[in-house]
Amino acid sequence: MNRRDFLKHSGCAAMGTTTLLSTLTSLGAVNGAMSHKKFSSKEAVVAEDYKALVCVLLAGGIDSYNVLIPNGTADNGYSEYAATRSDLSIAQASLLSLNNPQCTGFRNIPCNYGSFGIHPAMTGMRDLFNSGKLAFMANIGTLVEPIMNASEFNNGLKKIPDGIYSHSDQIMQWQTSVPQSRSALGVGGRIADLLNAGNVNNQISMNISLAGKNIFQTGENIAEYSISNNVNPNNVGLDVLPTWWSDSGLMNDLRNTSVDSMVGQTYTNSLKETYSGTAKGAIASFDIFKEALKRVPSLATQFPNTSLGNDLAAIAKVISVRGNLGAKRQIFFVTYGGWDMHDGLATGLNQRLPVVSGALKAFYDATVELGIADKVTTFTISDFARTITSNGLGSDHAWGGNSMVIGGSVKGGKIYGAFPRMDLNNSPQNISFRGNFIPAVSTDELYAEMALWYGVSPTDLCYVLPNLGNFYSYTPGNYPIGFMNFNGTSISTDDKPQSCLTY
Amino acid sequence: MSFPLLVFQGLFRIRRVITFTLLIGFTGISMLTNAQQKIIFGKGNTTNVLVSSSSSSASNQTAPKTLMSSGYLPNKNAAARLLSQATLGTTYGEIENVATIGIEKWVEQQLAMPNSFKITNYLQNLHQSIVDSVKRTDPTRTLSNVFLSDWHFDISWFQGSMTAADILRWRVALGLSEIFVTSRVSAFADNPYALASYYDVLLDNSFTNYRTLIEKITYHPSMAVYLTFMNNHATDFNNGKQTYPDENYAREVMQLFSIGLFQLNIDGTEKKDANGKSIPTYNNNDIANLAKVFTGLSWGDSKYIGDRSKDYWSYTKKLKFYAIDSSDVYIRWWVTNPNNWRIVNAHEVGVKTFLGKTIPARSVEQGELDIKDALDIIFNHPNVGPFMARRLIQRLVTSNPSPAFIQRVATVFNNNGSGVRGDLKAVIRTILTDPEARDCCNNGNTQFSGMLKEPFLRYMNLVKGLNLTSATNVFRNSMRRAYEKTGQIPMYSPSVFNFFSPDYTPDGALKGTGKYGPEFQTLNSQTLTGYMNALNTWLINDDPMEYYGYFGGETYKPEQEPKFNLTADYALVRNDRLTQLLDKYNLILAHGRLSKKNLDFIKKAISGIPLSITNGVPDSDDAFRRVRIAIYLIMSCPDYLINN
Repeated sequence: MNRRDFLKHSGCAAMGTTTLLSTLTSLGAVNGAMSHKKFSSKEAVVAEDYKALVCVLLAGGIDSYNVLIPNGTADNGYSEYAATRSDLSIAQASLLSLNNPQCTGFRNIPCNYGSFGIHPAMTGMRDLFNSGKLAFMANIGTLVEPIMNASEFNNGLKKIPDGIYSHSDQIMQWQTSVPQSRSALGVGGRIADLLNAGNVNNQISMNISLAGKNIFQTGENIAEYSISNNVNPNNVGLDVLPTWWSDSGLMNDLRNTSVDSMVGQTYTNSLKETYSGTAKGAIASFDIFKEALKRVPSLATQFPNTSLGNDLAAIAKVISVRGNLGAKRQIFFVTYGGWDMHDGLATGLNQRLPVVSGALKAFYDATVELGIADKVTTFTISDFARTITSNGLGSDHAWGGNSMVIGGSVKGGKIYGAFPRMDLNNSPQNISFRGNFIPAVSTDELYAEMALWYGVSPTDLCYVLPNLGNFYSYTPGNYPIGFMNFNGTSISTDDKPQSCLTY
Repeated sequence: MSFPLLVFQGLFRIRRVITFTLLIGFTGISMLTNAQQKIIFGKGNTTNVLVSSSSSSASNQTAPKTLMSSGYLPNKNAAARLLSQATLGTTYGEIENVATIGIEKWVEQQLAMPNSFKITNYLQNLHQSIVDSVKRTDPTRTLSNVFLSDWHFDISWFQGSMTAADILRWRVALGLSEIFVTSRVSAFADNPYALASYYDVLLDNSFTNYRTLIEKITYHPSMAVYLTFMNNHATDFNNGKQTYPDENYAREVMQLFSIGLFQLNIDGTEKKDANGKSIPTYNNNDIANLAKVFTGLSWGDSKYIGDRSKDYWSYTKKLKFYAIDSSDVYIRWWVTNPNNWRIVNAHEVGVKTFLGKTIPARSVEQGELDIKDALDIIFNHPNVGPFMARRLIQRLVTSNPSPAFIQRVATVFNNNGSGVRGDLKAVIRTILTDPEARDCCNNGNTQFSGMLKEPFLRYMNLVKGLNLTSATNVFRNSMRRAYEKTGQIPMYSPSVFNFFSPDYTPDGALKGTGKYGPEFQTLNSQTLTGYMNALNTWLINDDPMEYYGYFGGETYKPEQEPKFNLTADYALVRNDRLTQLLDKYNLILAHGRLSKKNLDFIKKAISGIPLSITNGVPDSDDAFRRVRIAIYLIMSCPDYLINN
């Protein structure tokens, strides 16, 4: 019985005949209850075991040293910044101040400045930071092992990421966190490999993408389920034949059966097998997804009508029907590109940063509205940061940069990591006359902290993050960076059979 | 012994033609198990056919012998298969043509054809005709104040693709546009001239020399804007503000357009160091040095470096080199004392070392020679042959060419036989006539053969294969649905990394095999249905293209928005003739690759669709449905979607 038949018959089938059926039936009930309770009953929400990670890829390499900016006078932060960034620097008076950001340094690398502002176009991010819901990771990037300074970088003894400064390599490594390999799986995919079975319905992947195929969500056994940001039940699945045709229903069935049969074959050619496998998986998911989308409530939160705003609005809607989808854990992936600003940097940031700020703020507000702000953690990644020096109105490819993490479970209002010294002649992390910084914090540490929160057991972290042992080992109460609030989260002791990965 | 030029199909035919008895051994599983396949001699299938003489009278024959591949004519399946690799989509007529003249001759004819369609010219004429029309009501309208959009490029591109006779060039140029990527996702989003002029460079140079092509691209304003070396300036210290040359083009010209990240053997495999690690081709110092080379280039119609584009046509003019930056003279024209103008070098002087080669120091006035030297250094890097060979094979024939195939093509890239390096005509000829391209079954190993047809090619297969014809031979097709549903039309890549990466490995059966499936990067649950639903619209809703009004109040011109006319197929929709219908489109769209099993599934569906017949003539509504659903299903079949 294929998926389509199953759903067709499930309405009159006896309850409990299959696991999937009972799941669907009870989920319908749960969801029905939730859709009434979600604004009124706190207990129902608190009791719910649900968590989501939302990865926002700012593709192209965002100039994040014009997002988070030292603005102090006493510590020379702003003057060093302005001198080095030259025509790229943003006027001090226009920066949005962060309240007491408490940047403390990391791994004995100092955070060189005490006072910071953010780009004037990011009022939403300023507000989330100052209300403790947003944290910055300062100078984070791809690393195989810690590299403390330029001489360690140059002495040839430390492993350097493959293809540093190359878009295709670095955008991949940010998604795999395995910078010494070009064939690693994605972080979100490996997490889903471990935890997908915990979702009561596995027909829809734990990993849902608004950006089509991506490495981040690709695991050994898990592929992403791609959706469009036009979250509408009529947008899911195959269009039907014209309804004015007589017998169009019969013809739809004939057509669908034929398609199902063709993609249901086994093919000796692996490309055909890959195509048919993808098609089968997608077709099997449509009906469940379509049915779930019919239950999406209307949200009061207004999202900006931008591509990122629409993508994040779609994620909020999917989260709102998590019960119908049978999902206790979900990982979302969304891309917002256009950051490769070799030219026109000031204009480019003025156009794009408000989109980021507005969309992320609205998304956080929507999770508050849905009563699950503390169950959703959103973070930004990018290929790399950009050179601190200018190429004349633009900047080139660099390495460590600044990321944001947002959510009700984030210990926000702080800058974690170690912001590098902007005076390039006195900056131990700098490795180029153009101003390229060795990351102080590894992507492994960022992901490990979120993975522990999401429910990966400490033992299983080595499956998700093969290099993590170079940076961190778990002991109770000791977290990789310290930006997540683990109150109310019990560290998983449910070790999965997967073994550690090595590359 | 010379074989007559006949289409040989199978054992019996051979026995009849050849005067002494032959034992013919077949290997290759798919041929034997698939009733739809025929054994084909000639360029459709040459290997795995062993000819042994067993005649006692031929005592001087030493068996076994292998049939040579030249001199045979392909049958229609083999002809259609070549066309599936060498064109955007084919018609039944073209299949017959190839089957009649043979593969080598067809390829030579195509390679000899001049570029017959300049997109920029068509666009300009289109633009002028729009101006002429709107002038009737508003005499002030000119080319300069009647604005176009990128859709006018799409319409012009489609016109060329449907009417140009040099169809091989159009397929190769599409491939080049996915290697040497520029895109409307850029600062020239709304300028069809920027897209057309760049695409014309690809069409013009599909069969010239790689060195010519890379220079034309380097000097094209669309590339200069896309990879931000337009007005790129020498290192400058001005009022305490330091700026450095833009590194964007320096990096991507090496990573994506010529040599790639790692040193290659001639067969495309990566060289390894003593520790078994791949060896990078360059480091960041090479990039910083090469960035200095690409300084001093500005718009062809500029007055000084730093000048802005003037109009649409600025994007059609070759870049101009400025040794000196005298922009201050123009920007601060009111300054009276010439000594107060800031005159500095636009091009960076001094020695530049990259890829282990050195460009000598020379005067700034001679700086443009730096660019020539740099392009020569890149062109002569040993990686270019295998790098381009693999990419071009992937665009035309297969995602996973064998190292030997890459080596054969790279060898021709390095030397076309006459001592010329970079001869693209020779490279294309070698790719298309290589045994691995022509042999239907990749030496019997079908597991990784072929490629997923990229979504846009499927659309072109449809409109070509179903003979979309305009009474006036003018098509007004903005191709919006193809883009919106499948995410791909020409010159719309999301980034310089193309719609898909040559090194992409999808989930599923290919994972862990070390094999690639670039086009699978476009395939997900959204685009999968997007494609099938677009097919639904194009075929079943009878809406194969997207007409675009040029100006307010324009009269609709239905002849520029033709529909498919498939009435000739209506006689084939009767159950007893369905096989003919399916065979026809199996040939045209899939060169006969659909398995009997899949054809049976389709036949079962189609024969279940109600059909009323009056006096032996099928009802036209019923026939319409049967024909179109049949083609929809063929084009949804994995045997069609994987071109192998």
